[in-house]
Amino acid sequence: MTELATMDFHPQPQAGEPKPWAFPAPERGSLDNGLTVLRCHRPGQQVVAVEVLLDAPLDAEPAGLDGVATIMARAFSEGTDKHSAEEFAAELERCGATLDAVADHPGVRLSLEVPASRLAKALGLLADALRAPAFADGEVERLVRNRLDEIPHELANPARRAAKELSKELFPADSRMSRPRQGTEETVANIDSAAVRTFYEKHVRPATATAVVVGDLTGLDLDALLGDTLGAWTGSAAEPRPVPPVIADDRGRVVIVDRPGAVQTQLLIGRTGPDRHDRVWPAQVLGTYCLGGTLTSRLDRVLREEKGYTYGVRAFGQVLRSAPDGTGAAMLAISGSVDTPNTGPALEDLWTVLRTLAEGGLTDAERDVAVQNLVGVAPLKYETAAAVAGTLADQVEQHLPDDYQAALYRQLAATGTVEATAAVVSAFPVDRLVTVLVGDAAQIKAPVEALGIGEVTVVAAE
Amino acid sequence: MPMGHTATAQAGSGGLTATEHRLANGLRVVLSEDHLTPVAAVCLWYDVGSRHEVKGRTGLAHLFEHLMFQGSAQVKGNGHFELVQGAGGSLNGTTSFERTNYFETMPAHQLELALWLEADRMGSLLAALDDESMENQRDVVKNERRQRYDNVPYGTAFEKLTALAYPEGHPYHHTPIGSMADLDAATLEDARAFFRTYYAPNNAVLSVVGDIDPEQTLAWIEKYFGSIPSHDGKQPPRDGSLPDVMGEQLREVVEEEVPARALMAAYRLPEDGTRACDAADLALTVLGGGESSRLYNRLVRRDRTAVAAGFGLLRLAGAPSLGWLDVKTSGDVEVPVIETAIDEELARFAEEGPTAEEMERAQAQLEREWLDRLGTVAGRADELCRYAVLFGDPQLALTAVQRVLEVTAEEVQEVAKARLRPDNRAVLVYEPTAPADETDADQTDATDENDEEAAK
Repeated sequence: MTELATMDFHPQPQAGEPKPWAFPAPERGSLDNGLTVLRCHRPGQQVVAVEVLLDAPLDAEPAGLDGVATIMARAFSEGTDKHSAEEFAAELERCGATLDAVADHPGVRLSLEVPASRLAKALGLLADALRAPAFADGEVERLVRNRLDEIPHELANPARRAAKELSKELFPADSRMSRPRQGTEETVANIDSAAVRTFYEKHVRPATATAVVVGDLTGLDLDALLGDTLGAWTGSAAEPRPVPPVIADDRGRVVIVDRPGAVQTQLLIGRTGPDRHDRVWPAQVLGTYCLGGTLTSRLDRVLREEKGYTYGVRAFGQVLRSAPDGTGAAMLAISGSVDTPNTGPALEDLWTVLRTLAEGGLTDAERDVAVQNLVGVAPLKYETAAAVAGTLADQVEQHLPDDYQAALYRQLAATGTVEATAAVVSAFPVDRLVTVLVGDAAQIKAPVEALGIGEVTVVAAE
Repeated sequence: MPMGHTATAQAGSGGLTATEHRLANGLRVVLSEDHLTPVAAVCLWYDVGSRHEVKGRTGLAHLFEHLMFQGSAQVKGNGHFELVQGAGGSLNGTTSFERTNYFETMPAHQLELALWLEADRMGSLLAALDDESMENQRDVVKNERRQRYDNVPYGTAFEKLTALAYPEGHPYHHTPIGSMADLDAATLEDARAFFRTYYAPNNAVLSVVGDIDPEQTLAWIEKYFGSIPSHDGKQPPRDGSLPDVMGEQLREVVEEEVPARALMAAYRLPEDGTRACDAADLALTVLGGGESSRLYNRLVRRDRTAVAAGFGLLRLAGAPSLGWLDVKTSGDVEVPVIETAIDEELARFAEEGPTAEEMERAQAQLEREWLDRLGTVAGRADELCRYAVLFGDPQLALTAVQRVLEVTAEEVQEVAKARLRPDNRAVLVYEPTAPADETDADQTDATDENDEEAAK
């Protein structure tokens, strides 16, 4: 039997006429209590997404209490003036809702998702949590113990262990960014309900908060709904907190977190660079995609599809924290894992890819495909209410205008190959990258030293 | 239960409809229109998964899925990825016990390209498949195995529990990722034979969902897929049926370098597609879904003996489903303490059944999960294929949530009583050891009990 198939072949089809799509524009307003509200109607999206941003950044945590913002965020769903912790969880689930809360460098973010028909009730619960959290001693104590139990699990995970080490290397020891977002065993153990309440009273108020509501809002009187729920939340006026600058040491060097016996080495190679306020951002997004956005990008074309060293290596830029004056920063990084015996060869290839890119630049074809993908996937990426709400909330959190994402798509389309090359080369300079390797030092140290990509130190995995 | 607490009039189907078609070569086609967003999802399910693999060739279905992205007669190298992404689409493929799926979500005006690409590899993969791709993707898949299972704490738990829960020789005894030895042993000829056996239009269902013109879409499907010859080389998978209960508690203790003690268990539950399976889903949700569940309240909130405690359901159609318990202990708590508490809670639940409030919460949670799944064109396309391949009727996808809402508390109690018993579970206990010496390069560690392997 011949391997040439017997089917009829046809030439590759041409695309049809594109249909217009634009990133949705939210409607901006505010409640009497000063809460900023962004709303966006998305027909057909039955699960409504609500994001609430609180101006309670990690750098506001008192000395020695790293993790208090995280414990506060979690404690929001552990009881209010109306419900015990168990009752609150039950009431939320009765709405078919999920509520997540995360504390990060820019602030605390609560994310609610609920079917539109039960939005009123779920918004009531969310408002109770913000307005009158119980912060009961016993519940906070339990959250603290639970958090302490989580830490060893995180340290045992190679990707998370690498992220922790990179932050420690990049940022000065007195910077909050150098330390784990959710605190360490020492600092978390110091947290109690009084500390949580103090942090809450100091940093949580409607005047410095924003709510984003996205979904199919047909038939909902959202103004009345919000007025009855989040509108009942009160608090004093306050100025937004000043944002400290981000300082990082990106001298080229290598840190191996020793994990004897590991069958793979986790790579995390990073530094800091411009955030979305910088004019270079669209070109940086484009260039970074060409370097490592997908399995046909430069890194995976070699490391995965030619050599088979990895399941996938990605390059990305992720905003750490932004400021209105543009002094914020993003983490620019390459991450992935490679098998232990090929760690040296994989890093050598990775550096060769970076050097080749710096010497020869991107091709027009690469740039075109990247633009077509980054711009073309927008309607897919923003199909759900949660995706739209997430990006709108990011914009607020990063002090960007509400039409930022819509404008970004136009800028990407207008960015040329030369600009994208310049941006990615300056984002990933071969001699200014901090490399963290979580792996078996006995096997990988010598081959990595031989590459000459910086001084190699070994630390215990703990 | 009354239907009074459904979130929408159509309870999840949102007024969606689907039409069914069949080409002369046996390819089944499901189309569903939705013009809200200018996107279209293409999903192709082949009725082949790891349950079809034979001894000594575990992991072949998944390795083969990777090879499907390495080019075909008219598509060079990584062209499939390049063309879809260059058209503003996203794509992937995954392999589970029961099926292999491939999907592209495209801007609506690029739909024809995705159909052309899927047809090209369905009809002509072997024109491009060579040793170089085989060797390369073998290495990629081995690294996928290391990354997702072997190099993370508890990573091989799913594999171990599955092997306990389904006896030696059972088609579900091994998981889709396969063993390193079998991945090494697979040959190019194995891959060719696998394609010739399973990759036929009459062994697949194609769904297209979104902003489409059904008539035009069907014409394109006929044009690109219509001439691919059908063939009937496929043998039915080995019988996966087993007695309703295991009849004894199976148990394995793993001593490994993990951060904390853990108790995991797999309960044997009714097959997917049955009302009893929906009842089991509700039982597991009441007992261990979310932060108001009985086990969470008992172990995490009250006893404070666990960091996390929950139940999940692995729905399977060709063998009993698995109810998946995962508890990580807090501090120095010993496993028997946890186990006693769980047995008490399960026994109490079997005796009392769920309260009305618990039923309401569990049904609301499962309903939202369905709304989420049907809320994207890709999710809908996948569910339509699922019901067409596994149960012969794609329309069942649009009414699935109603069926969950119709289950009664009595049915939930009944399944709990019959199945959530100590003599119907396989148990895996993790006891941490001190950090390993540098000798043991084959230590097994890792996280989530994902039953899917992805190409990307």
